[in-house]
Amino acid sequence: MRKQECIAMLLAGGQGSRLGGLTRIRAKPAVSFCGKYRIIDFTLSNCLNSDINTVGVLIQYKPFLLNSYIGLGSAWDLDNPYGGVHILPPFLGEKEGSWYNGTANAVHQNHEFIDYYDPDYVIILSGDHVYKMDYTRMLKFHKEKNSDVTIATIQVPWEEASRFGILSVDDDKRITKFTEKPSQPDSNLASMGVYIFNWSILKQALIDDAKDSQSQNDFGKNIIPQQLKQGKRVYAYKFQGYWRDVGTIESYYQANMESLKAGHFLNIFDPRFRIFSNEDILPPHFVGSTAEIENSLVCNGCIIHGKVSNSILAFGAYVGKGVEIRDSILLPYAKVHTGSVIRKTIVGENSEIMRRCIVGAEGQSVPNQEGIAVIEDNHIISEGSIIEAGKNA
Amino acid sequence: MKRVRMPKVLRRSFRKVEARMSNAIGIIYANNAADSLQGLALERPIAAVPFGGRYRILDFALSSMVNSGMRTIGLVTPHHYRPLLDHLGAGKAWFLDRKDGGLFILPGVFHGLGGNNHTFCIKDLQNNIEYLEKDFAENVIISSGEQIFNINFKSALEFHNNKHADVTLIYKDMRESDDLTDEMFFEIDKDYKVSKVKVKVNDTQDLKKAKPLRSYFVNILIIRRELLLGIIEKYSSFGCIDLIDILTANLEVLKIYGNPTCSLIGKIRTLKDYFDRSMDLLNLEIRGKLWLGEDRIHTKLKDNPPTQYASKAKVSNSLIASGCTIAGEVVNSIIFRGVILEDGCQIRNSIILPKCHIHANAQTDYAILDKSVTVNGENVLKGSPNNPLVVLKKTVI
Repeated sequence: MRKQECIAMLLAGGQGSRLGGLTRIRAKPAVSFCGKYRIIDFTLSNCLNSDINTVGVLIQYKPFLLNSYIGLGSAWDLDNPYGGVHILPPFLGEKEGSWYNGTANAVHQNHEFIDYYDPDYVIILSGDHVYKMDYTRMLKFHKEKNSDVTIATIQVPWEEASRFGILSVDDDKRITKFTEKPSQPDSNLASMGVYIFNWSILKQALIDDAKDSQSQNDFGKNIIPQQLKQGKRVYAYKFQGYWRDVGTIESYYQANMESLKAGHFLNIFDPRFRIFSNEDILPPHFVGSTAEIENSLVCNGCIIHGKVSNSILAFGAYVGKGVEIRDSILLPYAKVHTGSVIRKTIVGENSEIMRRCIVGAEGQSVPNQEGIAVIEDNHIISEGSIIEAGKNA
Repeated sequence: MKRVRMPKVLRRSFRKVEARMSNAIGIIYANNAADSLQGLALERPIAAVPFGGRYRILDFALSSMVNSGMRTIGLVTPHHYRPLLDHLGAGKAWFLDRKDGGLFILPGVFHGLGGNNHTFCIKDLQNNIEYLEKDFAENVIISSGEQIFNINFKSALEFHNNKHADVTLIYKDMRESDDLTDEMFFEIDKDYKVSKVKVKVNDTQDLKKAKPLRSYFVNILIIRRELLLGIIEKYSSFGCIDLIDILTANLEVLKIYGNPTCSLIGKIRTLKDYFDRSMDLLNLEIRGKLWLGEDRIHTKLKDNPPTQYASKAKVSNSLIASGCTIAGEVVNSIIFRGVILEDGCQIRNSIILPKCHIHANAQTDYAILDKSVTVNGENVLKGSPNNPLVVLKKTVI
């Protein structure tokens, strides 16, 4: 063990119930994104690209697939003799033990892990955001401001501001007010759910929070307001770049589809800030003589015989003859057989759509979730089925 | 209708764990640097020539051994070994970064003016004798790194052990369609013992004579380690001599058996071999046997993003690797990683190696573009099926 200046605690234990069928068998951070990646790839790659080599991953909900995906962290070059990736599940102590009860509680229960590395700073990350960010700049800002807590923020459109934790700052970027999901936002500066704490400050805050029986033990709802109330030096770091919360079917779909646009902000092609993933080793994809592909992303191991437009085919996907796929996302190893038509649909991992199905058909009523149909993981849609737009199966 | 099925990621790791192949270590000869590939092997050994969209030829021998459960593999390198070591690193992608065993680099002999036309040169092993001496394995599996195949050696090794053989030669039964010049044919008796050998068929006349023999050697053999050490010692004064020649000369003395394989084997000796074996991959049946089965072919990971298709892209009957940007037309071709094909370009019957950039309206037909070639707009590159046009690495046209 060697003392670390800054270690990361990655919150990956949430259920992500708003992603419905996509998180039925796996935790949200392990959900496929943009064909080749899984959501947690972005945070882990950010750590690597920010020279943070000790990451504690707090897990709780259906952790097996997530754990096996992370492994030793070697896919992100995080298998490091002085630190590395540590999977931190809830555990039993001498007298008692409990599930993680809120984000703050999860970190609190692992204070011994953090003390082991004796860091000056702890960065709290969330495993369900898609973004590229160099945390060293934020840490530099944190030190310059002699701050106790620094919150990464991003400007969001005013009309969406009420979905986020909204901050007001003074001229020195010091935070004067923090409101979680305000109905009448007085700023459009939103918290990204990325915090840097001085470990001594965080440790005390967690102890205080644990004593408060009214607290929901949540960073956004309790810890940050409590720090502001105590008059701690809480600063806002302004992040400029691409950041998406992919917590709902709609935002997940939008974020995926955005990556099809040319000159996209996330720029997964940028060799200076690479996003790594723990991919299955598959041969190149095969495009048959009846295939037509336009404006799409296609991964290794796919076999394509049908028409694909404005869509993302994750690794190992199969598109049969006469199939038409439009505005859709096929997750890893999804199969669509001969003659089926798929529109604006997320087809879950390993699921299979048999012959002559129509998914995303126009229905009688106004569709839910912006008309995005979702087929959950490992599901089989039998031959000739019709699934309306916005429906889940 | 719901089916309880284990996700693919898990199914793979649930593969039946079989007995360790710790009684065999591997040696792969990757040092044939003779440039019979018209420039593709000019600055790299044939084993390091890119193949099949994301692999190098060597990956097939290496993956076969790893998938057979072997944990110790030595690689005989030529003097120009940078491309090989760049590709292999510590062998992590093949799970060969190990405490016990792992990947060993065995620097090969400098062959000078004469070049190297041996399959398994004894002197290469003599120079690396420690690799063979310090291991405890019973057998050594020796393979050429210049052929395309996917064989699980477990059954061959079992055969070798059951027969208490000194040497087991892996062979294939001849088919009419095979190109069999330069092959070593042999005859086997009912007990699979090799009884007669006819070395190297050079012309059609020889081929007719060889026909009754039917079985030809595929440059893979299993040999007892102690015997191999003995041979190296006895023949050390000869300098460069081929292990195959030694074995055939001692047919009476040694217990040499043959074990058939029905896997596809494609030796890469000429440019036509390279082109034809590459184009074979467009055939589903061949791809199925080579890399769609349970034993995957492993290769260096590049973590490229998915391939982007623009709205003008037209692709048919082609293999496309990751990290490409495709806006042009691609027919019957193999496109490696990170290739950029601009609007209106036409790629037909071609093999485009990594990081090539084809500008707008350029055309290629029966061409092989080595790594990082740039073809500027409106250029037309045309070869023929029997003589594909090769463009050397980093050329700008």
